[in-house]
Amino acid sequence: MSIFSFTASELEAIKLSVGVAVYSSVISLPFALFIGYYLARKQFPGKALVESIIHLPLVMPPVTTGYLLLLILGTRGFIGQWLYAAFGLKLAFTFEAAVIASVFVSFPLIVRSIRTAIEMVDPGLEDASRILGAGRLKTFFRITVPLAAPGIVSGTILAFARSLGEFGATITFAGNIAGETQTLPLAVFAYMQVPGKEMETLRLVLISVLISLVAMALSELYIRKMKHA
Amino acid sequence: MIQVDIQLKRDNFDVVVQETFGTGITGIFGPSGSGKTSLLNAICGLAKPERGSICISGKKVFSIEEKINIPVQQRRIGYVFQEGRLFPHLSVEKNLRYGMKAPDGNGMFNKVVELLKLGHILQSKPAKISGGERQRTAIGRALLSSPELLLLDEPFSALDVSLRQQILPFILKIQQTIRIPILVVSHDISDLLKLTNRLCLLKQGRVIGHDDYHVLLRRPELQTSFSSHSLINAVTMTVARVDEESGITTLSYGEKENWIKVVCEKSRLTYRKGDQIKIFISSDDIALSARRLPYVTIQNQLEGVIQDVIERGNIRICIVNVGFPLLVEITAESLKRMDIGIGYPVWCLFKSVAIDVAG
Repeated sequence: MSIFSFTASELEAIKLSVGVAVYSSVISLPFALFIGYYLARKQFPGKALVESIIHLPLVMPPVTTGYLLLLILGTRGFIGQWLYAAFGLKLAFTFEAAVIASVFVSFPLIVRSIRTAIEMVDPGLEDASRILGAGRLKTFFRITVPLAAPGIVSGTILAFARSLGEFGATITFAGNIAGETQTLPLAVFAYMQVPGKEMETLRLVLISVLISLVAMALSELYIRKMKHA
Repeated sequence: MIQVDIQLKRDNFDVVVQETFGTGITGIFGPSGSGKTSLLNAICGLAKPERGSICISGKKVFSIEEKINIPVQQRRIGYVFQEGRLFPHLSVEKNLRYGMKAPDGNGMFNKVVELLKLGHILQSKPAKISGGERQRTAIGRALLSSPELLLLDEPFSALDVSLRQQILPFILKIQQTIRIPILVVSHDISDLLKLTNRLCLLKQGRVIGHDDYHVLLRRPELQTSFSSHSLINAVTMTVARVDEESGITTLSYGEKENWIKVVCEKSRLTYRKGDQIKIFISSDDIALSARRLPYVTIQNQLEGVIQDVIERGNIRICIVNVGFPLLVEITAESLKRMDIGIGYPVWCLFKSVAIDVAG
């Protein structure tokens, strides 16, 4: 058996992992842009508290993040209950749950990166843009975002990579259901439990490494291109 | 026209200004930290005054009583910052077009590009152009947003002396082409005087004088404001004759020819008869004589009458009317030795190399 002949369930895990990571980073990006901008530019009461809450998943064991998500969004959680009653929506132990778990765990990373990038943009340039007649929105998208682009891109890639590796929160909130929530790390974990699956385990590990490497290399390339432009 | 009547809180003092600024250039002069930039920020809406109102060409853009505070982007103000603040990720052309309201069929765009000589750098990024070009782009960008008021905050401070001289004629040309009020902030009076004689003096957030330079100079209480600066005579003259061989340009003022001569370098031979140019003579480059001196190399000898003498320590500043007022700085000792004073006829002598020209 060659190292590159994947079984259907392995391919499923790869597809799922990339899917979760893409959804998670795409969903995080607009919120992270908005919150990153506010944290970088505005002073408001309770700012320190907001920052702490956003950064909490960074320091909390992911399993506890997953457990909290289960408490809140699970079928008996106070939001989950309402979602089920109102829309018949069940989140826990679904693909969506895996995405939500990834969003929460990777959000501090993307916010941090975007916030730092926006802090580096001279607010004087934003003032200049507004004096030239551009509203806040035009200023944000034509001045702030392009100038902070390297940080925004690397933040998104970081969130993507973190989602790819998400384990604790996913297994708690989304479970380990093959073909639905079993992402690469979960599949690796599952294989490790079975004797004689060393080859399969190693293969999946290598695939994880490869995906992460490609993502990082792409972001590095982009940032380099930005610098030379 | 712009009417300002505001009180603006600052850390150490309040900026309290009640002034009207008309079309043309007004120089806002004061030491660092006197509230000059705060005043500009309040006018354009970057800072919010505690009380008062601001009116730009008849339109109220700010009023505490009427609860009007038009946002920055709707005030139609051109603001040229000290450091230019060009958008680093956009080309010069995109910077210039950033504030343009609608495509104007390139009429205005081409005019500004030509006026500020930016044609050759349109596709360059701001990091790749020189300091003077950057400042000209910033000025052009402000102009193209079709402002009703132009604010220039220390437009020369980032430039070295030779670049300053290059920017001056552009600003003077703008004033002739577009009839809007222009406020220029500077802590360097000679820079301002090269642009305008109309000054507004700020000190600790208050306006302590707003008038023609020569009027302000005579007010004893304002002496300290000018004391550490060398005084400059700025006069607009007409080119009467250009002698290409000797490189000497003859200028005239008013009806009769005053025979003020300017020795030009080759580049300045682009002058044509009838051109209006602005010349600068430092007050300490001029000497006084009781008579015309026939056997001397000094070519410029203007006859006039001493109108006023301002005391400043052991320096005396004579305002001599030679057809236009000319400031002459001499020592108290010289004045005493020559036994002259107000009402005396004198000759003002200065070498043609002492004359500086904008451009």
